[in-house]
Amino acid sequence: MAKVYTGRDGVMQVGGSTLAKVVSFSVQSNLETLETTTLGDNIRSYSPGILGYAGSATLLYYKEDDGSINTSTLLNKLVKTGTAGVSSSDTVELTFRWVDGTDNNDIKMTAYVTSANIGAATADLARAEISFIGTGALSAASV
Amino acid sequence: MAFPSHKPTSRSFEAGDYAIKTYKAQNGAETRILYGDRRTNMKLSLSYANITDTQADDFIAHYDEVKGSFQTFDLDANAKSGWEGTSTALDATAQGNKYRYEGPPQITQVRPGTSTVTINLIGVL
Repeated sequence: MAKVYTGRDGVMQVGGSTLAKVVSFSVQSNLETLETTTLGDNIRSYSPGILGYAGSATLLYYKEDDGSINTSTLLNKLVKTGTAGVSSSDTVELTFRWVDGTDNNDIKMTAYVTSANIGAATADLARAEISFIGTGALSAASV
Repeated sequence: MAFPSHKPTSRSFEAGDYAIKTYKAQNGAETRILYGDRRTNMKLSLSYANITDTQADDFIAHYDEVKGSFQTFDLDANAKSGWEGTSTALDATAQGNKYRYEGPPQITQVRPGTSTVTINLIGVL
């Protein structure tokens, strides 16, 4: 049946577990292009370069009944103690899903969290904003 | 093997100079003697951005063919692609010169199968 998707149909998962209180997410794919225009040409031409993925998400900062925080898995990739910094194992498996009953359209990627913001403001909900960049190929792209 | 016929993506040209010897007296006066009537040492730099590796190795093959900077050669017409001035202005031959490699071709690989090549040529009598 025909369907227009809305924000209600969007799901974001980390490691296969659905994140609570996701306000928004966006996923971008970017193609680097290599210009092949030569002297004497009047129209630009390009060769495809490297394909990459990146995006961002905003979540409400939310404590579950069991005391866990919904944003911990993402924020703790950057916001953490110790001097080790970020290692190559600090990736997250992200799934972005558009649900239509039992029919799911997914984008799945392995990603590094590249920025994590969390704050609080008077008369506003506390939100966490993260940006991520994909590493390697997508493991699902049914969009 | 002739010089590869690929079209460059950028080109720069230095016109060279005539064979002139300059002497300077202690009082600062300059005397110049002209030793030749043909301009020489013109420099042509050709850049081929984002070409295939197969095209890039054409330049290596040609570099080997002319024994590096040893032999002179004629340029392919495509090396002057896009030039709308006098067709011989960028030629070395118009002044009785021929081009040779000033240095080895420089190849920068920018992604699998794609490279950027820079060629520096100098006109010699």
